[in-house]
Amino acid sequence: MSGIRRLVVLLAGWVALVSAAHLAMNVDWSTVLNERLPPGERKLNVAYIPVT
Amino acid sequence: MTDYVSRYSLDGNIFIPKKFQGFPEIKEALIADRMQAGFMVAPMAMALRSQGVPIKIVYLGHRYGSAVVVSKEGPVHSVRDLVGRTIAIPSRFSDEHLIVLRALEANDVDRREVEIVEMPPPDVAGALAVDAIDAFSMGEPFPSQAEMGGFGRVLFQAREYWPDYMSCVLVVRQDVIDRRPRAVQTLVDGIARSGLWLDDEERARLHRDHAADFVGRFYFNQPPDLLRWALLRDLRRVVYTELEPRRADFELVRDLMLEHGLLERSLELEEYVDPRFARGAMGQTAWRYVPGSRVAR
Repeated sequence: MSGIRRLVVLLAGWVALVSAAHLAMNVDWSTVLNERLPPGERKLNVAYIPVT
Repeated sequence: MTDYVSRYSLDGNIFIPKKFQGFPEIKEALIADRMQAGFMVAPMAMALRSQGVPIKIVYLGHRYGSAVVVSKEGPVHSVRDLVGRTIAIPSRFSDEHLIVLRALEANDVDRREVEIVEMPPPDVAGALAVDAIDAFSMGEPFPSQAEMGGFGRVLFQAREYWPDYMSCVLVVRQDVIDRRPRAVQTLVDGIARSGLWLDDEERARLHRDHAADFVGRFYFNQPPDLLRWALLRDLRRVVYTELEPRRADFELVRDLMLEHGLLERSLELEEYVDPRFARGAMGQTAWRYVPGSRVAR
């Protein structure tokens, strides 16, 4: 594998890794999936703040 | 209550709890329909309803639990000592604001003699610790945070000036009430049962100790010992029963809001409260749940 080809593969792998980490940590999947359901079947989002 | 909401969701279905850091953000999320229900201070809910936002109050979150806190070694030892001082509140449209106004009036202090500033609840204890403010009026566990940290002292509990004090209420969007009343009833029933469990006559201390642990670690991201301080030092500091919306309580809030220019027009209770879910929850009993077990019934 040439040096340039190896660099491209490494960069692509790094971008894929960072993208996967971002999607795992920063996307609220429960909300995303919930909003794809029909309105009558959606879970209700209940807001609270950390006070008693 | 938060745990009930979460567990119900994890177990199968209806709710997703979402933590916010301030009431204005909850307000915006409700208006935008990103949240379908939420806990917010009663005056804010009433102000939103008066502005035409389609929400209704269906239940209370708790009673009492708010206090005015001053610097432990500071010069404020009475409400009259607050003259010329700065007090932080969570919002103009909050019961914590109204209780300050009520205390000032009861002590013949003109509201204009005190500087009242809005501040997100998580910031107030730190602001008091560095003397950025002289006092704050806030719900638990922030009074406890200042006490535990050794820099705050409770000047008065809200109940001293407001015997049936209430603060957070559960609001639900009208379209959800219309389309999914059974889900709303399930939520209210769960809150009622959680409250009865927390205020259990014989095991309240055990239950609150357990609640402080898991709510602190998994929901509030606060030290469990802080919540233990708030929930256990005096069981009457925050009360989780008698949560049905009462006309007299809300009319008092409405009248105070009108008196202080926080509400543009008078509202009738039926405009902003839907009492049928509280009525439906009246026969509920406390969760049968032993701390440490995996099942609640």
